Amino acid sequence: MTNSFTDYKNSDVFLMIGANPAENHPQVMRFAGIAAAKRGAKIIVVDPRFTKTAAKADIYAPIRPGTDIAFLYGIMNYAIENNLYFHDYVVNYTNASFLVSPEYGFSDGLFTGLTEKDGNFSYDTKTWQYQTDGANIKKDPTLQDPQCVFQILKRHVSRYDIKTVCNITGTPEDVYRKVCELYCSTGKPDKAGNLLYAMGITQHTYGGQNVRATAMLQLLLGNIGIAGGGVNAQRGESNVQGSTDQAMLYHYIPGYNPCPDVNTPTLKDYIEKQVPKTSYWSNRNKFIISMLKAWFGDKATAENDFCYGWLPKHTGKDHSHMAIFQAMAEGKIKGFFAWGQNPAVGGPLASRTRDALAKLDWMVGVDLFETETVSFWKRPGVNPADIKTEVFLLPTAMSYEKEGTVANSSRWIQWRWKAVEPPGEAKSDLWIADRIFKAIRKEYQAGGKFTDPILNMVWDYDVPGHDEPDIMKVGREMNGYLVADGSLLDSFAKLKEDGSTACGVWIYAGYMFVDPALKVPACQRRSREDKTGLGLFPKWSFAWPANRRIVYNRCSADPAGKPWDPAKTLVAWDGTQWITNDVPDFGFKDANTGAFIPPNISASNCFIMNTEGVGRLFAPTGMKDGPLPEHYEPIESPVKNLISKQQNNPVAARYKGDFAKVAHTASPEFPYIATTHRLVEHYQSGAVTRNCPTLAEFMPEMFATISPGLAKKLGVKPGDLIVVSTVRGEITCKANVLPIVKPLKVNGSEIEIVGLPWHWGYQGLAPGSTANDLTPFVGDPNTMIPEYKAFLCNVKKASGH
Amino acid sequence: MSKGVLVDVTRCIGCKSCAVSCKTWNDLPSKTSTFTNNWDSPGKVTADAWTIITSFVIEQGDQIKWRFVKRQCMHCNEPACESACFTHSFVKTKEGAVIYKPTELKQDYCVGCRYCMIACPFGIPSFQWDKAFPYVQKCRFCYDRMKEQGLQPACVTSCPTQTLLFGDRDKLLKEAWDRINRDQRYVKHVYGEKEYGGTSWLYISDVPFDKIGFRTEAYGKPVSQKSIPSYTWDVLKWTPYIFFGWGAILTAMRAYTKRRAQVHDESELYEPEKKG
Amino acid sequence: MERTWSFRFTPFRFILGIIVVVAVVAAVMRFVFGLGAVTNLSDEWPWGLWIGFDLLCGIALAGGGFSTALIVHVLHREKYLPIARAALLTSLIGYIIALVSLFLDIGRWFNFWRPFFYWGYHSVLFEVFWCISLYTMVQVLEFGEIFFEKIRCAPLQKILHFFMPFLLILGIVLPSLHQSSLGSLYIVTIDRLNPLWWSMLLPFFFVWSAFFLGPAMVTFEGTLAARSYGRAPELPVFQSLTKVTLWMMIIYLLVKIGDLIYRNELGRAFNGSFESNMFLIEMVVFVIAPIVMYATPSIRTNLRGVVTASFLVVAGVVFNRMNVVFTGMADAAGGHYFPSMWEWIITAGMWSALILAYCFVVENFPILPKEDLEHHEGGKAHIEAGKSIHA
Repeated sequence: MTNSFTDYKNSDVFLMIGANPAENHPQVMRFAGIAAAKRGAKIIVVDPRFTKTAAKADIYAPIRPGTDIAFLYGIMNYAIENNLYFHDYVVNYTNASFLVSPEYGFSDGLFTGLTEKDGNFSYDTKTWQYQTDGANIKKDPTLQDPQCVFQILKRHVSRYDIKTVCNITGTPEDVYRKVCELYCSTGKPDKAGNLLYAMGITQHTYGGQNVRATAMLQLLLGNIGIAGGGVNAQRGESNVQGSTDQAMLYHYIPGYNPCPDVNTPTLKDYIEKQVPKTSYWSNRNKFIISMLKAWFGDKATAENDFCYGWLPKHTGKDHSHMAIFQAMAEGKIKGFFAWGQNPAVGGPLASRTRDALAKLDWMVGVDLFETETVSFWKRPGVNPADIKTEVFLLPTAMSYEKEGTVANSSRWIQWRWKAVEPPGEAKSDLWIADRIFKAIRKEYQAGGKFTDPILNMVWDYDVPGHDEPDIMKVGREMNGYLVADGSLLDSFAKLKEDGSTACGVWIYAGYMFVDPALKVPACQRRSREDKTGLGLFPKWSFAWPANRRIVYNRCSADPAGKPWDPAKTLVAWDGTQWITNDVPDFGFKDANTGAFIPPNISASNCFIMNTEGVGRLFAPTGMKDGPLPEHYEPIESPVKNLISKQQNNPVAARYKGDFAKVAHTASPEFPYIATTHRLVEHYQSGAVTRNCPTLAEFMPEMFATISPGLAKKLGVKPGDLIVVSTVRGEITCKANVLPIVKPLKVNGSEIEIVGLPWHWGYQGLAPGSTANDLTPFVGDPNTMIPEYKAFLCNVKKASGH
Repeated sequence: MSKGVLVDVTRCIGCKSCAVSCKTWNDLPSKTSTFTNNWDSPGKVTADAWTIITSFVIEQGDQIKWRFVKRQCMHCNEPACESACFTHSFVKTKEGAVIYKPTELKQDYCVGCRYCMIACPFGIPSFQWDKAFPYVQKCRFCYDRMKEQGLQPACVTSCPTQTLLFGDRDKLLKEAWDRINRDQRYVKHVYGEKEYGGTSWLYISDVPFDKIGFRTEAYGKPVSQKSIPSYTWDVLKWTPYIFFGWGAILTAMRAYTKRRAQVHDESELYEPEKKG
Repeated sequence: MERTWSFRFTPFRFILGIIVVVAVVAAVMRFVFGLGAVTNLSDEWPWGLWIGFDLLCGIALAGGGFSTALIVHVLHREKYLPIARAALLTSLIGYIIALVSLFLDIGRWFNFWRPFFYWGYHSVLFEVFWCISLYTMVQVLEFGEIFFEKIRCAPLQKILHFFMPFLLILGIVLPSLHQSSLGSLYIVTIDRLNPLWWSMLLPFFFVWSAFFLGPAMVTFEGTLAARSYGRAPELPVFQSLTKVTLWMMIIYLLVKIGDLIYRNELGRAFNGSFESNMFLIEMVVFVIAPIVMYATPSIRTNLRGVVTASFLVVAGVVFNRMNVVFTGMADAAGGHYFPSMWEWIITAGMWSALILAYCFVVENFPILPKEDLEHHEGGKAHIEAGKSIHA
């Protein structure tokens, strides 16, 4: 999230697309409610279902699952055609004026550079690059050059006129027009449009491009870096922000640094390839070396590349969730830790996932309850004697039974104190990780292959006389310290590439630093001080990076440093110095002299993480499936792509064998669109919540929501048992008949939507069938996120009922 | 000062935090329930679910409205349950809470006759049917929090959207009318202001109350604005007069007719039946 | 009079006995496992068969006791003396059943004594509870006279006899109060009980109907008793009782109609709803029809006619109570209620026990008039004399 939940009160218009915060992030509705009450803010909700969030919307726009790019492009087209975009912002803070290679092209749904190898497609990004003049990128500030990004974008989105968009998305034209008018009203300096999304945007075979489209719309309207604006991803889990910060994604190491790979065998290679000349990432070498110092301590020296050689090197192969389970199904994986995850319910095509688990020699579940995953060997319909996998379950403490931090969507790293002792033999995750590491190290001490990293890892979290490792010591290591005296760092600006600093996660630098006034580590601060009244709360916990509450905040002021909206000043140049209500996200003060840096310097480098220093309306790098988003149909779609001949994302991630099953376009056997969703009563796979008696009582049974019209056609009454099937399998559940789903008119024909909550499995107090038994095993090429949100199904009344 | 809660239905998102925190604070067990089409299991208050969120999907032409309504004891100004109870096991405290003395004050007089359940116009008191020695249960307005710790009710403190506002009832009433007068979306009605003599919990809404589970009319007439106790008292107040008056009339009649009656030796009139 | 006890088990009584035993087992279950385990009661239907039928109807049907007492002992219409003790007995047993069903029905039965000490005097139930308790005691004492007569305990009989006038008055005042209070109980159901039945006059309707029910009940059960014991029914008594019932029912009907008109609810009786139909049945079949029958001399003078009309009156009061408790409440209460097997068994057990107790008492105590008296000139003279006085 670029902004924070508390900042939502500054928004004028909310565009909630692919998000249902009323159920999944109720606190969002608190601040949206304040904005509505205090500023008269308007809420637009775009969702295939009339959700609890839609119930609070000023405009509800129904949308066919998987057509978000068309929807967002339509708004951009409307903004450009009607001159409603924020011109000064676009010219100065985006790459609109940058000239793109004349070789760049786009035709019939495909960008230039698509190549095929062994039936697999990929893009060569060479033609997507900027035109350069030596080291400088060529620009046209008048935005008239046909090869400038703005003109390319304008041509690209011009195909998405309202009629075409509504034909694709199924949104009624009058409603869509209202959405365009209302949201484009935020393209003014004193208006803030807040675009917030969640899994409805990401869980598609073009989820990455969906997100790109949201960012581009916000750039066009000048809504990034300002109070009340932003691209705000409501993270799917309470600490998923924290876990991605810690590199729970296979292609990262902590702090969003790329994983070392076989092409960067030495530190020098890594620095050459991964440390850019411009942008803040030019400091990446400091981050990596400090991380190595934190990991390997005295062993890491300049002479030995700070033990860079000990880091595993990624081969470039897909090791995402789906790839792992395909490999598991093929018998290529022997052991598996299901640590606080429940893929037997939560993964795509969960039924095959469960089958794959049986191919393991061993599996360790670390969880609060006996989840579906750890009990896969005794699941209904399976003879435990046939399953050879040895399964262990390590009971673990819940978040209230241990202490530590949780990072929320606002990037706040908040300390949580232990409320109660864990029951029985349950231990904290840290305890478990600590014991496992120590046991592994003991094995390695007896010898083995490549023992150095394990034997030399700094692992010193014990407190004499205590069973539990000291989490403060872990925190200090993540925060970073001076190697010389161990004193904690207050900022990643202090990190050095000479080995004099150690820091586990550079973006966390400062989070354990003791606040001089409050005398507690930053993440433990709970001051409600808010001098600006903007909801920044600088002394409430710690927001990475650098306690910055709104990132890209340079963009809240014009190039001369004058705030676009003085009522919402985050930073301002008063002629001699910077007023800094928020921690500036740009070079505002010379690190050595302490002198203020005038605004013209930062104006051209307001997106400090981008090498070109500005926001990307056009992305020459970073995306595997095109420099611009383009509407494709979900892999399973009831209609042909109306905008081009290219039906699907050509580079979408697909898998083999059993996992390859998808329904063909407009399949008569599977005429309805299914989409999965969550409910406020349950969390994810329900592993915890279906074991909470209260929550099980409040939402006891699996159901599928169908429209009253479809129910009538099928002769189904509320509460009847129905069978929902896809080409991959079928489930039986209760029929939920509500007009919260209605058929959408897509290119002239009505298409029914079926809503499936995915919280149920065969374990727990409230068991039920698993929606993910139906979901397709395909994903986004950039993130490998599965396409949970749009697939084809059929619904029948269950026989005998 | 009598406290109350103003429930602004327009703000509720149906997250059920209030219902969960109620169960948590009051240590209420949970039961297996079944699917409800409106996603509002258990669908009504029970002895173990003192507050619940009810849900209403309302279709108005093409438009849909989905409203979530917290339900719990209304804490009547003059509670029907209190007046109905012949052991006086319910009491309206000066703080506004209507509490059940057997569990709240450990004054275990309740015989479990359930007349309170018949009497309550809102159908709130619930019985622990599954227990051998059941109590009547309902929302207690977190009387312990209010009385001993100066805290607001658990539900109020856990509401993320400020749907629930705790305060003095008269001030809440003013706030309610302020909101209604400021924003034309609101129905011009504060439910609980006058219903059954007024309640401590007050509701405002943008959809008519009868569409979201409130009885505004009964059998074609607005629901009573007089309290239930006042109705029964209108009858009960005559009891002593009837007792003595009717007794006196009967005595007089007996005396009058007796003079003229024959005296029977009753033992000669009757005999046990022999043919049985 | 002999002091021996006799009770003969006929096959019919044997079956009744078995029902009672099963019911006792069910009652034990209820006390051990709680109400939820044996009843179909719910939060929507907190009161069911036991309160609705056993208690409300039991007490209404026992109304014969106080109306007969009023007629015989206060108004000294002594020609009705032959039925007085039978009416008292039925009433007493009816009240005991009501108390037993109440005891079964209250969830915290071990607290049954609390209301004597903790007074919720704003409650209608307070009045009901006290009146029923005291009245049952009064009836026990009244019956005590008969009991002591049987066991020949003259001193106690004498004491009771001395207090009898007071007890008799109390024995009319108390039931008058609580019969009406049973109606007042439902005043709280304003806005929920269908306006066809809800009225501020509910207490009047209840006490009035309990009163006019008395003679009808006496007629009905007297005939039953006479048939089963092979006696001649007290037809003349029954016939003259019809006058009481007739006039009271006419007043009842007029007040009902007047009340509906006053409350502007008369139209509701004809709106074709389930409730309106039930109301019309109640009024036409169980009020107007008996009035017509009682008013028609050819029917009134014929035993069959009188008994049929009386049966309709008795059934009508039960029907009325059922309408108040179930029909009129169903719409507002929501949910469904149908008594469970165990509720039926316990109810059946209680009424079986009533019959058995009645038989036992009648066969062992001087309750029914001496048979020879009926056919004996002197006896007839007694009654004739009584009649002549008031004629």
